[in-house]
Amino acid sequence: MSGIGPVEPGDGTLAPESRRPDGILRRPHPTHLLPHSRPLRLTLAALLLLAGAGYLYATRPRPPAPPPVPYPIQVVALTYPADQPAPRPAGSHAFRFSVLVSVRSGPPVSVTRVSQPYAGLTVTASPAPPFRTRAGSPRKITITMHVTECGKVPRNAGFPFLDVTLRNPQAIQDHSFILGERYARDLSEALQVACSNESGHHQNR
Amino acid sequence: MRQRSMVILTSVLTTGALTLTACGSRDDNGGGSSDGGNTTTLTIGVDAPLSGENSTTGLGIQYGAQIAVDDANKNNLVPGVKFKLKALDDKAQPATGQSNATALTGDKSVVGVVGPLNSGVAQTMQQVFASANMVQISPSNTNPELTQGKNWQTDKKRPYKTYFRTATTDELQGSFAAGYAFNDLKKKKAFVVDDKQTYGAGLAKIFAEQFKKLGGTVVQTDHINTGDKDFGSLVTKIKNSGADILYYGGQYDESSLITKQLKGAGVKIPLFGGDGMFASTYIETAGAASEGDLATAIGVPADTLPAAKNFIATYKAKGYKGDYGAYGAYSYDAASAIIRAVKAVKDANGGKLPTDNNDLRSKVVDEVQKSNFDGLTGKVSFDEYGDTTNKQLTVYAVEKGKWKAAKTGTAD
Repeated sequence: MSGIGPVEPGDGTLAPESRRPDGILRRPHPTHLLPHSRPLRLTLAALLLLAGAGYLYATRPRPPAPPPVPYPIQVVALTYPADQPAPRPAGSHAFRFSVLVSVRSGPPVSVTRVSQPYAGLTVTASPAPPFRTRAGSPRKITITMHVTECGKVPRNAGFPFLDVTLRNPQAIQDHSFILGERYARDLSEALQVACSNESGHHQNR
Repeated sequence: MRQRSMVILTSVLTTGALTLTACGSRDDNGGGSSDGGNTTTLTIGVDAPLSGENSTTGLGIQYGAQIAVDDANKNNLVPGVKFKLKALDDKAQPATGQSNATALTGDKSVVGVVGPLNSGVAQTMQQVFASANMVQISPSNTNPELTQGKNWQTDKKRPYKTYFRTATTDELQGSFAAGYAFNDLKKKKAFVVDDKQTYGAGLAKIFAEQFKKLGGTVVQTDHINTGDKDFGSLVTKIKNSGADILYYGGQYDESSLITKQLKGAGVKIPLFGGDGMFASTYIETAGAASEGDLATAIGVPADTLPAAKNFIATYKAKGYKGDYGAYGAYSYDAASAIIRAVKAVKDANGGKLPTDNNDLRSKVVDEVQKSNFDGLTGKVSFDEYGDTTNKQLTVYAVEKGKWKAAKTGTAD
């Protein structure tokens, strides 16, 4: 047979016992776990209370942190409104139409630049940038396109876009807005008109 | 006196202990089942290339969906329902994708599927899912035909009501790339190559059309085969064409080798591609030859999406393989759309899931169509074709060995 039996106490490992005057045997209190002086005990209690209160304060329920300020391109929409009439002539080689800038949420966003990438065309916006748009208050922008060189303009760009620079407290971002098929069609027609007028003038001379 | 001190001390300690316990439970999110073990487990399927070609981005899709499932379970998004993921490897092969679709529809616990990566693979899966009335949401398919039919340019018609995607289409991607190449890079002569696959050939065609519309010239077109490694003859053609830009429709596996061999032959023109080559592997394989190359990718840079921060941190902390950058967040949103649809079905059914599995699948399709929530990538909703309404794109350029955003755009 083999194995380890119950562990027996060794010499001097038993706690000292003492007898009360009435002769009843009693175990000693674990007084070694507590400070011996009253002021010390009170100080310890106060410290524990303070620590508890501090913990409670630190972990108190707090309202959730405000969401981070979104990047401008995540909240700004630039659209060619559905009820938008066809671009109107604005001189012999220019035409005008409106777009809508809206901010879905967060702080106001400033539009600091409006441009377009195609050769033979320049663009102006009214109001002139920079201008601010607040969440929930869409702003109508009048865009005027000036044809500077008919030979270079893309008369049938598939997905023409407007470039803008947006700014809010989070970032300044350059962004392109592709305004959809109807805008592409209207822009193409307006360019045809603007440039055919020019060739028409030449023919009439 | 000693006993009173003990009482005070014990009270303080007990109060503290109770307070700590209370504080600890305040943050609990009720992750344990609260319905006495009456939990139903539903499966979200994933199909993507998880090994071999395209697996860098395929694994990003798998783990993007995995994190969505984990988050839904942790937050008890659908009380009484736990979700698990079942990911199948299609190896970027259409036939394998179709087999996987059959396997997933045959598994009664599967309620919807995220994937695949490749448009060509999706074409073989769509009919299988439609027959089973099971929802399929791809985070990466961009070929317009998948949602708008073969004649999408003239007569849009949705082929399958069970198919959705959180990625925008190549109609926008190809046009955006053409605009950037012509207007911003001032390139006028493009050599256009594709890999003959549904995605690559479709994207290259759209780019070429749009580039010409803007006034550019497509000096030559050519095709390669997926899996090719030696592009010597193609490089010679490009060199002799006088092109100032190479546009490639296909995946990073081939384009990374093409650019390496092109630059190695002294042809210092940028290679521009689509989202199929927007992967860290492209740069790792091509090395310095990739510097200055470009790719369009769906969405905007993840670091500008506050909601994606936790997702990225989790992906990294878990040590998941693959690249979350291209489609990971879109995969998360796709899986979330299915999970939220299950919740909507349950809520509309008196708080119980339909007992008939086919009924559940069918209703989930209807609810996915009605999706409208803020996902990691922005608003998640679908139009009448199953296309995402969130149409953002970014042009990235390789700069100092990293993809860096060069231009972002949003389509109306």
